[in-house]
Amino acid sequence: MITLRINGQDRQFEAESDTPLLWALREELRLTGTKFGCGAGLCGACTVHVDGKAVRSCQVAAGDVGTAAITTIEGLADGDSLHAVQAAWVSAQVPQCGYCQPGMIMAVAALLAATPKPMEAQVRSEITNICRCGTYPRIVAAVMQAAQQT
Amino acid sequence: MLANLSRRSFVKALGISAGALVIGAPDPAAAIVAGSSARFGAILAIAADGAVSVVCPSSEMGQGTQEALARLVAEELECDWSRLTIVQPWADPAFINPAARRQLTANSMTVTGYFLSLRRLGASARLMLVQAAADRLGVPASELSVQNGSVRHLASQRSLHFGELAAGAAALPVPGDAPLKRASAFQLIGSRSPRKDLAAKVTGQAEFGMDVHEDGMLVAALALAPHPLAEFTVAGRDIARAMPGVVAAIQIKGGCAVLADRFWRAQKAAQQLEIKVTRSPTAGLDSAAITGRIERAFAEAEGQPFPDIDMSVSPPRFIPGDQAAVAKALAGSARRLTAQYDVPYLAHAALEPLCCAARYDAGSLLVRGPLQAPEAARQIAAAKAGLPLDRVRVEVTFIGGGFGRKWANDFVETAVEVAMAAPGRLVKTIWTREQDFAADQFRPAYSARYDVGLASDGSIAAMHGRIAGQSINDYHKRAGPKGMGDPTAAAWLIYGAYDFPNKLIHYHPADLAIPVGFWRSVTLSQNTFFAESIIDEVARETGRDPLAMRRSMLAKHPRMQAVLDRAAAMIGWNTRRRKGVGRGIALAYADNSCCAQAVEVEVKGRKLTIRRIACAIDCGLAIDPAGVEAQISGGMVWGLQAALWGEIPFSDGAAQASNFSDYRMPLLADIPPIEIALLSGSDRPGSVGESGVPPLAPALANAIADAGGPRIRRLPINTALEV
Repeated sequence: MITLRINGQDRQFEAESDTPLLWALREELRLTGTKFGCGAGLCGACTVHVDGKAVRSCQVAAGDVGTAAITTIEGLADGDSLHAVQAAWVSAQVPQCGYCQPGMIMAVAALLAATPKPMEAQVRSEITNICRCGTYPRIVAAVMQAAQQT
Repeated sequence: MLANLSRRSFVKALGISAGALVIGAPDPAAAIVAGSSARFGAILAIAADGAVSVVCPSSEMGQGTQEALARLVAEELECDWSRLTIVQPWADPAFINPAARRQLTANSMTVTGYFLSLRRLGASARLMLVQAAADRLGVPASELSVQNGSVRHLASQRSLHFGELAAGAAALPVPGDAPLKRASAFQLIGSRSPRKDLAAKVTGQAEFGMDVHEDGMLVAALALAPHPLAEFTVAGRDIARAMPGVVAAIQIKGGCAVLADRFWRAQKAAQQLEIKVTRSPTAGLDSAAITGRIERAFAEAEGQPFPDIDMSVSPPRFIPGDQAAVAKALAGSARRLTAQYDVPYLAHAALEPLCCAARYDAGSLLVRGPLQAPEAARQIAAAKAGLPLDRVRVEVTFIGGGFGRKWANDFVETAVEVAMAAPGRLVKTIWTREQDFAADQFRPAYSARYDVGLASDGSIAAMHGRIAGQSINDYHKRAGPKGMGDPTAAAWLIYGAYDFPNKLIHYHPADLAIPVGFWRSVTLSQNTFFAESIIDEVARETGRDPLAMRRSMLAKHPRMQAVLDRAAAMIGWNTRRRKGVGRGIALAYADNSCCAQAVEVEVKGRKLTIRRIACAIDCGLAIDPAGVEAQISGGMVWGLQAALWGEIPFSDGAAQASNFSDYRMPLLADIPPIEIALLSGSDRPGSVGESGVPPLAPALANAIADAGGPRIRRLPINTALEV
């Protein structure tokens, strides 16, 4: 039995301890906003927060998370009120297919939590998630917009 | 013809209560037979509470056509846009694209194909609601007006909302010829409001194919041979079967599948399977052998002629090349210019790896997944399961990137074959990223050879273009137009729009069996690079300005001149530049759409820096201008990836890219400033989804030449320069 602290709640499930956090979230806890893109920590579609830091959940074993607090895209908004990054994503009309965007949003939210007013160059170098639709120009615009509002 | 479907099972399918108005295509079977009568794709439903549902006939893969199509309906319906919900489609003749005559989302023809039919759908429903209101209020319909989901009678200050009228309207016949709005009255069409799917996509609630779930379902992981038609033996199945959670380990076409209760368990078990290939259509093939076969095709495969296409008329006119006249003009020209260009195999690499779910029961089959071609998927699934079409239901989810890969249905066939091993249970088959690369249907490698005859004044007297590579149509056993080479290889190899005499195109099919398919912008993905590079070489060789030379050959195409002018102005075409800085431009055109891009680069030794990219697109009427800009911008990033880094090498009969570590994607840090201008040279919509891709590579290559760098004749560019 593995117990994880996810989006403010303790969740228990049966799984091998080497099950990647990504698949535990998706299949045991039905939190499918965290996406499978590469399974190798390269694309960032599976990004979640572990104790506030952006982590690629395909590279973390569920059994190794321990008591750390996990936040997924489903837990980012405050009730019905979108997180500033999510709101900026809608306002700047970032998503196209949308598959990478939960991971992208989680990566940006962690960056802004650590650095509320980043320089654009810092955003460009620190956000290394892949978007195959090529939404990058609007991502930059949305990050700077979100940074203004936090 | 539209039909009133209010009493049919559609009401149930849409999950709305009785007393609703539901209209759409008539009896699906009749639509198939009549063909031309299947003019009304979406099904529109108005519930008693006023909520409007539109089953969108197209698949949503990021290109925004579900938003655009819903706007077409709502614009004419005059409903409350905030109360309109878009419902994902299923495979159904009711949803056939009038232009494609198929239900598929590809070829940038969704908005253009449904433009009139969906507006008529909305307009017809509005007339029915108005008539219902007239009957209820006892006033002539001509005294009523419609706004924001309500019908008003101004004189008596009375108003009824659509929900109150739905049941009454449901009892009325569907009018035959509802008038459409004038463009000047459009409110939703052309608005820059955010798409309806964004909220679900930023909260993780959007259901992609990867997310399909039902309790008790199984998940399958694969072990694949390097080619779908390979013959092979398998070891390790007993080990796999004994692993935790595993329900079955079976052999399928092209490999093996392990069915388990969880993907992680299925994948770990699948890794125990060892596939030994005994025969494969690509056995031993490597990149050098591929190049050899393409070279040999020029010499040994008879050239298939491809006509010049006059796109200035509709439908386009085919003008066969005159081989004797071209040979004579080339022989008699003052100067000759020859060049060969090469492009490699390319992967789609959509961020959602291939996946599809299916449930096979005695006598019925359900397929749910990210499908660009649900109609064909249904046919393939039915054939695989040995069931009649009416026992097969195919449902479409959001697509996590399609780009042409999810137009093919090989992965649906696999998912059905896998699901048949566990009757009664939903089984979702998931390809790993590595398998998504290895089992791609690649954009083929091509080589193009040009022989250009120049008159003494530098103008083009003749051009013979030859292209060699695999035929996509042959691989998919699709019949192309009679008497000409595969258009997916040969079209646009020499631009029909450019006004010069003696054009001749030949296609030489290469004898290769690598799985190939449609890749965003298809033919133009290679031929715009070829055609717009050779024109640029001619301009520089004859000492002319590449922009001025293009303009001089486009007198009959003012929209193309306009996008070139705009892109040139945006990049500062004529402004001074320091040594090592260069600018290039290129043009592409498709159905009622033309796109020019200009790139500014700096080349220092072997180091390439892309400073800026400007794009002018004229796609006629933009239904969702912010969405068009997003598509064009995304297309440019797509084109940039292919131009700089895109290449799938082959070794020992298999593709050699395994993950993003060896198929480089641009990241945020790699994206230069991109500026886009929308022009509107037509009052009907044109192609958008693919239009941003093609001009990027030649504009970039032409800029590199302008900067004093090498002439790029082979993609990707990182084999010549550091980026």
